Amino acid sequence: MKNPEEATDGKQRIHLRPGSLRGVARAELHLLPCDVLVSRPAPVERFFTPAVRRDADGLHVSFRGRGLRGEEVAVPPGFTGFVMVTEEMGEGLIGKLNFSGDAEDKVDEAQEPLERDFVSRGRCIIGATSSFSHFTLWGLETVPGPDAKVHRALGWPSLAAAIHAQVPED
Amino acid sequence: MEYLKDASKKMKSGLLFVKLASPHSGEGAIYLIDMCLQQLFEIKVFKEKHHSWFINQSVQSGGLLHFATPMDPLFLLLHYLIKAGKEGKYQPLDQVVVDDTFPDCTLLLRFPELEKSLRHVTEEKEVNSKKYYKYSSEKTLKWLEKKVSQTVAALKASKVSVGARVQSSAYFSAVQVSRDKEEDYVRYAHGLISDYIPKELSDDLSKFLNASRTSSFRAKPSVKGKLKVSDEPVEAKEDYTKFNTKDLKTGKKNSKMTAAQKALAKVDKSGMKSIDAFFGAKSKKTGKI
Amino acid sequence: MDLSELERDNTGRCRLSSPVPAVCLKEPCVLGVDEAGRGPVLGPMVYAICYCPLSRLADLEALKVADSKTLTENERERLFAKMEEDGDFVGWALDILSPNLISTSMLGRVKYNLNSLSHDTAAGLIQYALDQHVNVSQVFVDTVGMPETYQARLQQRFPGDRSDSQGQSRLPVSCGQCCQHLCQVARDQAVRDWQFVENLQDLDSDYGSGYPNDPKTKAWLRRHVDRVFGFPQFVRFSWSTAQAILEKEAEDVTWEDSAAEEDLEQPGRITSYFSQGPKTCRPQGPHRYFQERGLEAANSL
Repeated sequence: MKNPEEATDGKQRIHLRPGSLRGVARAELHLLPCDVLVSRPAPVERFFTPAVRRDADGLHVSFRGRGLRGEEVAVPPGFTGFVMVTEEMGEGLIGKLNFSGDAEDKVDEAQEPLERDFVSRGRCIIGATSSFSHFTLWGLETVPGPDAKVHRALGWPSLAAAIHAQVPED
Repeated sequence: MEYLKDASKKMKSGLLFVKLASPHSGEGAIYLIDMCLQQLFEIKVFKEKHHSWFINQSVQSGGLLHFATPMDPLFLLLHYLIKAGKEGKYQPLDQVVVDDTFPDCTLLLRFPELEKSLRHVTEEKEVNSKKYYKYSSEKTLKWLEKKVSQTVAALKASKVSVGARVQSSAYFSAVQVSRDKEEDYVRYAHGLISDYIPKELSDDLSKFLNASRTSSFRAKPSVKGKLKVSDEPVEAKEDYTKFNTKDLKTGKKNSKMTAAQKALAKVDKSGMKSIDAFFGAKSKKTGKI
Repeated sequence: MDLSELERDNTGRCRLSSPVPAVCLKEPCVLGVDEAGRGPVLGPMVYAICYCPLSRLADLEALKVADSKTLTENERERLFAKMEEDGDFVGWALDILSPNLISTSMLGRVKYNLNSLSHDTAAGLIQYALDQHVNVSQVFVDTVGMPETYQARLQQRFPGDRSDSQGQSRLPVSCGQCCQHLCQVARDQAVRDWQFVENLQDLDSDYGSGYPNDPKTKAWLRRHVDRVFGFPQFVRFSWSTAQAILEKEAEDVTWEDSAAEEDLEQPGRITSYFSQGPKTCRPQGPHRYFQERGLEAANSL
C-alpha cells in the first residue's frame, strides 16, 4: 500500500492473516475527542489511565489541560474488534511480530493454495495484533451520549444484516 | 486501525481484502472475502474529524473504525449482469463477470448458492448442462422491493429516524419514530438500497415502488397524491442539500467526489506509514519480554 | 496542616476548614480573604478566609504574626500551629484549586478566566462562612482584576454593604496576615507533598519557584514534557509558558473548537455551498444514513 497507484489498480490484494485473529491479547482503547497528529508509542498507562476518575456522572480525565468526559462503549453483539496492522513483506521487523502465530499460519497456508500463492508474490499482509469488545469514548467536556456519530455508527451492523439478508422466496 | 469482524464465524480460512467495483459508483471499493466460508464482507469506515485512538501504549491519529459486515454478493454481480444485459442475450457467467480494472471480481463466482440467488435477477437457460443467464429488470425490481421492505422493518426496529429533518435521537427518538410515516420509511430504505445499485436502477426502483404502493392504496386517493412525492430523487436531493448546508464535511464530499477520494487515499497512506512505524517499535518491545 | 484529602485526589478542588469558634457565631466578625500561588505555572492556587470577632482583634495582634513572606516555611508552619491552638476565637477555611482545575477551566470551550475563577472561589468561601452562621460584619478581599467590578460582584452576592475590596478601610493587619499565612502554608505544603497523578519515573522536584520567569522552572518544564501528553497535571497547561513549550516540543493536537480549524473551514463552507448547484444532479454522496454516522465505503485500508 505504499504506492497509491498500486493500491488503486484493482489487482492489489491484502491478505488478512487468519491465524492472527485467534487468541490475540485484549487491547485497551480510548477514542479521544481530538486528533493527535501523529501515530507513535505513547505512555498511556503512565499519564492517562491513572488520571481517569469515575463518579456518579461517569468518567472524567484531562488531556493537554482540557477536561474530558467519557463512557464505555461496547462493540455490537456478535462482533469483535481487532487492532490491525499491515505487515509489509520484506521488512525486517515483520518476522518478529508474531512469533507463536507464525507456525500456525504456515499450516493455514499449506491448506490454502490461494493464500500460498498470494504470499509468494510478496503482497501486503495485514494481521491483528489485539482484540477488543469495548472501548472508552471521550467527549470534550461533555459525555458524547447517544447522538455521537460513533454511537450511531455502531448501529450499522444490525441494519446491514437486514439489507444484505437473503430475500424470502415468493 | 480497527476492524470489527464477525466473530461468530470460524477464523480458519483465507481472508482477502480485494478491490472491486462499487455497484453504485463503479469506482473501486474495498471488500473482504472469506475464501473458505465463501462469504463477502463490505467495509465501511467510521471517519469523523478530531479523533484519535489510544491503543494500549500508543496513539493512533485519525480515530478510524472499520466495519466489516456481511454483504449480499448479488449487488456486486448485478453491476456486471446489467452491463451484459444490454446485449440482450443469454451468456455464461464466466463471460459476464470479467473486469480488467478489478480482475478479482471472478472471486464472486465462487460463492455457494450463487445459482439460486441469480434467479432473483436473471432469466436462465441450460444448454448441454451449461447455464446461460440474461439480466431481467422485472425480476430485479421485485427482488429489490423485497430488499426495501426488509430494510424498512429493520429501520423501524432500530428506531432510526427517517423523517425529512435530522433529529437528535436523545430528544426525539421515541416521539419522532412514531411520527415517521410509512412513505418516509420506504423512501429512506430506497435511498439506502440505492447505495448498492446503479443510479438508473435506483430511479426505476423508485418508480416501481411508487406504482406498487399506489396500486395497493388505490382505495385512498388522498394518500396517492402524497406518495407521488416519494418517487422523485428531487425530494431526496432536497434532503441532501438540507443536510449539507448543516454539515460542511459532507458538503465537500458531495461537491467534489473524485478530488475528495484522492485526498482520502493520501490520508490513508500516511496513516499506514505511521502504523508501521509504531508497531515496529512495539514489536521490538515484545521481543524483549 | 492535614492535606490528606487533597493527596487522595488532587485533580479538582479541595476545601479545608477549622471548626467555627462559638464566639464567632455571636459577636460581629471581620473576615479577610487572601490567595497564594496565583502566578506560578505549577501547582495549586489557594484561597483562604480568616474570621475573628472585632472584640478579639487585639488578641490576634498579640500572636505577633509577621508578614508571611518574610518567614521561612518552618516558621510559617509553627505559626499555623499556634493559630490552631488559639482556635477559640479565630476561624478559617481554605480552598485549594488544583492546577488541573485551573487548566481545564481556563482552556474550557467556554473560557473561564483566572479572575472569574478567583472571584467565585473567594465568594464561595465567604458563602461558606455565612452558611456556618458566622456573624460576618465586614469582609475584606485582596483585589484581583478590576476592584470596582469585584466589589459590585461581591455586593450583589452578599447584599448589606459588608464588603470592601477597594481598601478604603483597612483590614486589620493581624487578620490579613492570618489569611496570608494560611494560604502560604497550604500552598507550600501542597507543592512539597504533591502526589503526582501520573506514574512518572525520573521525576525531580527541582522546579525552582514555579514562576514562569524562573529559569529553573522553565528548565524543569522542558525536562518533563511528553510529546503526546504534554505535562503532568501538576503543570498549568493554560499558562503561556507551558503552551509555548508544548508548541515546540509536543505533537500537534486538533480539537473541534481549535481556532485554526474555524479559519480553515469558513471559506470552504461558502465555496461548497455555491458549487452545489449543478453538481447535485449526481447525488453520488453516501446516503444520509451514512453521513449522519460518519460512515463511508472504504476505498483503501
